[in-house]
Amino acid sequence: MRALLRGVPRFGIAGLLMLLVLLLCASIVLYPVVFIVAESLNVGEPGVFPPEQLSLRNFASISQDVGVLVNTLLVAFGATVMAVVIGFVLAWILTRTNIPGRTRLERLMELPYYMTPLVGAMAWAVLAAPKNGLLNQVWHGIGGRGDLFNIYAPLGIAWVMALFEGTVAFVMISAAMKSMDPSLEESSRVFGAGKLRTALRITLPLVAPGVLSAFVFVFAEMLGAFAAAFVLGIPGRFYVVTTAIWEATQSFPPEYGRAAALGLSLFAAMVVTLTISKLIMRRGAYATITGKAFRPRPIDVGHARWPLLAVAWGYILVSVILPVGALLLTSFQRFATVNLADSVFTVSNYVTAMSTGTLGQAFVNSLILGLSVATIGVPVIGVLTWIIYRSQMPGRTSVEYVLMFPQAVPRLVFGLGLLWAWINIPIPIYGTLWLLGIAYFTVFLPLGLRTMAGVVLQVDRSLEECARVCGASWMHQMRTVSLPLLRPGIAAAWLLIFIASVRELGASIFLMGPQSKVISPAIINAWLSSSSELSAAMAMILTATVFAAVILLFTVARRFSGAREV
Amino acid sequence: MTPRIEVSDLVIRYGDVVAVNGVSFSIQAGELVTLLGPSGCGKTSTLRAIAGLEDPSSGVIRLGGQTMYSSAERRNVPSEKRGLSMVFQSYAIWPHMTVAENVAYGLHVRKLPRAEIEQTVRRVLDMVRMAGYADRPASKLSGGQQQRIAVARAIAFSPTVLLFDEPLSNLDAKLRTEMRVEIRELQRQLDVTSVYVTHDQEEALAISDRIIVMDHGHIEQIGPPETIYNRPNSLFVADFVGAANLIPGRATSPGSFETTGGLTLSVSEPASGAGTTVALRSSYVELHPDSATPQSGANVVRGTIHRRMFHGDFIQYVVDWPAGQLIVRRPPTELIAEGAPVQIVFSPDHCILL
Repeated sequence: MRALLRGVPRFGIAGLLMLLVLLLCASIVLYPVVFIVAESLNVGEPGVFPPEQLSLRNFASISQDVGVLVNTLLVAFGATVMAVVIGFVLAWILTRTNIPGRTRLERLMELPYYMTPLVGAMAWAVLAAPKNGLLNQVWHGIGGRGDLFNIYAPLGIAWVMALFEGTVAFVMISAAMKSMDPSLEESSRVFGAGKLRTALRITLPLVAPGVLSAFVFVFAEMLGAFAAAFVLGIPGRFYVVTTAIWEATQSFPPEYGRAAALGLSLFAAMVVTLTISKLIMRRGAYATITGKAFRPRPIDVGHARWPLLAVAWGYILVSVILPVGALLLTSFQRFATVNLADSVFTVSNYVTAMSTGTLGQAFVNSLILGLSVATIGVPVIGVLTWIIYRSQMPGRTSVEYVLMFPQAVPRLVFGLGLLWAWINIPIPIYGTLWLLGIAYFTVFLPLGLRTMAGVVLQVDRSLEECARVCGASWMHQMRTVSLPLLRPGIAAAWLLIFIASVRELGASIFLMGPQSKVISPAIINAWLSSSSELSAAMAMILTATVFAAVILLFTVARRFSGAREV
Repeated sequence: MTPRIEVSDLVIRYGDVVAVNGVSFSIQAGELVTLLGPSGCGKTSTLRAIAGLEDPSSGVIRLGGQTMYSSAERRNVPSEKRGLSMVFQSYAIWPHMTVAENVAYGLHVRKLPRAEIEQTVRRVLDMVRMAGYADRPASKLSGGQQQRIAVARAIAFSPTVLLFDEPLSNLDAKLRTEMRVEIRELQRQLDVTSVYVTHDQEEALAISDRIIVMDHGHIEQIGPPETIYNRPNSLFVADFVGAANLIPGRATSPGSFETTGGLTLSVSEPASGAGTTVALRSSYVELHPDSATPQSGANVVRGTIHRRMFHGDFIQYVVDWPAGQLIVRRPPTELIAEGAPVQIVFSPDHCILL
């Protein structure tokens, strides 16, 4: 681009183009937020823009939702504590001890994230519902009285959230542990401190900022979590902020003002928490982040490595094996039971899931959306990435800020804003897949940008410059050098956006219409209105699709890293 | 004769920072000229501007008489149309191609016949002693091998100008001195005009026909290596190139200099600067036993060996003398004990008044 524009006055066309890009990005990202703000101030007819009567009453009435706020804080806090404890223990085991098979285990740790909170919550409902939950059935079978577990409780919700939304804690904490210079610990040993003293005086203080930052970050995520609270909370009328927002929009007349006010407050709380997390990270950076990647010398834990290995596999058991197993079993049964002698096996759930008009269509729609959003999104995001990280254009940092904005907005709230924004535009796309496609593209901008940037920044600029010096035109250089080098990263970005689109729930739940159903909300509807066996079959179809894409992703990633290591 | 490369009044700005501030020089065909200076002196920016990889703010760049960049004419010929070639600091070997594909890239771009490309690739790989590696994936090479491939790729399409951007800085010391010889050998053989950027003064002295010493975006001195070493024209050059003693004091009369320690030295050069420093290369100082008869026509000062450090190729002495301490390098055969009194002898010709 820069080369194409060379010779024309620098800030003329390039500047104008940049302004256009900025405006376009800003409108697609910020426009929906305007509607949330407007609606939160609207005390007249709900959903009318511009509002006829303005007041802060919606915010004032949040005080009536104290119960909801307390629930949210309790569940989010509980889930965060669990997620950070799990993340810390696993990160320590996998980065600092010599248990066998660490590399493979580290890969497996990513799986719970791809399970999605929705599928995880349903699976745990199948496993640990009072009375007929599979685990409780086993308990009764061996003569236990009462129920061992009740997942339909605040603690159950927090547990499921910790397992399936808190995986980022593991990622962040192990990153902090990996980026620690092992010589810091080694010097402590050389100066005569023992293993324990070194761990307490050196390792822990150095890792602490990373852990604290992860804690605050995960807490922000938990505040905005929706699926687990929905699946496990709604039956017992236990509401957190996100489910309360959903409920407010479903009442008659819809309490859009209340939903918007709650949504904005949630957004504000998340922005504050995320900022705190970033500040902690920056202040703690002195200790661990030296920019180099280290592989700290693992501690020889002797015989303790077998129990530690069991802990790591225990996590995989409760977050992947048991849930998938429960869904698999249930989906092939007429009535869910662990008593295999009594059970009636059938494929009819799958047949129903695929053939029932709207359900099968929802799956097809999700696939269409995933394929097209990824296919259209990747080149567009590629160009944006290039503008931000490779060009010299003025204002490119503001473009980055705007594009990363959706990250801070809870998906559910963003969906609401998108709904109002597009209903009030005289283009009839409400109720079509177009609206969902635009919404997915908007909310996955940060994901796509981060993935592509990671790839672009890995390709040394001189590889491209060298092609030019050798006499290649810009087009030729792109074709022979840049694109081939970026291909694995482009494939990874495509797959990540595909996965994210196929499983999307928060924004879709408001934006899908009767003719444009998608799979995640359809599974929720089936869960609430029909049998768990049918929902299990649908969840299995979704999980299988996502896992297939994940396997492709891992293959691409391995080939990529393999090529770079040598 | 038209110079092969001509740079005049080149200015490069990054925002408010002026990286290159009015640099002018010209290079004749077949010359190897080094841009030498500390990091941030503007040498790499200058090289990249010649390559067309950097947009200058003003000035003119001509290659073989043709204007490649001119702020006045609003002309900036893109890199690929300048007909030059470059060896990058990171080597920039494309990891997704084989060695042969890397080397053949510039030939393919020029749409040469297949047979000719194959022949050239073989010949060039032979020149850099990588003949057996043609079909290897380029990602599976050591640093030194990548370096050779980078050179092979750069010379394959017979460019008229070859640019080197710190090509040896990522190699270990031994390989670096070897490659230095090979690059110079190739450059002579091909008679290709070359611009070589480095911060390593030893490398610059060894490899160049002429050296351009840069600091803070401007040129300090241009000249052949011997001149740069023996006749530095500024404090910066004396200090940056080679090991020199910088002796503070003041010029008292023509040919005479009084150090801050009250010592009077005979100097030859008229001052090119303020006349407050004498630069004296540590290799040009002789040490004689205290009892030896003083030589005529030389500066002779008594001193004591303070510290001796054996470097293998030379011995470095720190000698206490009336003007403070003097660093002296002597061949490893001239072993003198610490604490021994010595006569310090050096010619006025080597006392450069700055």
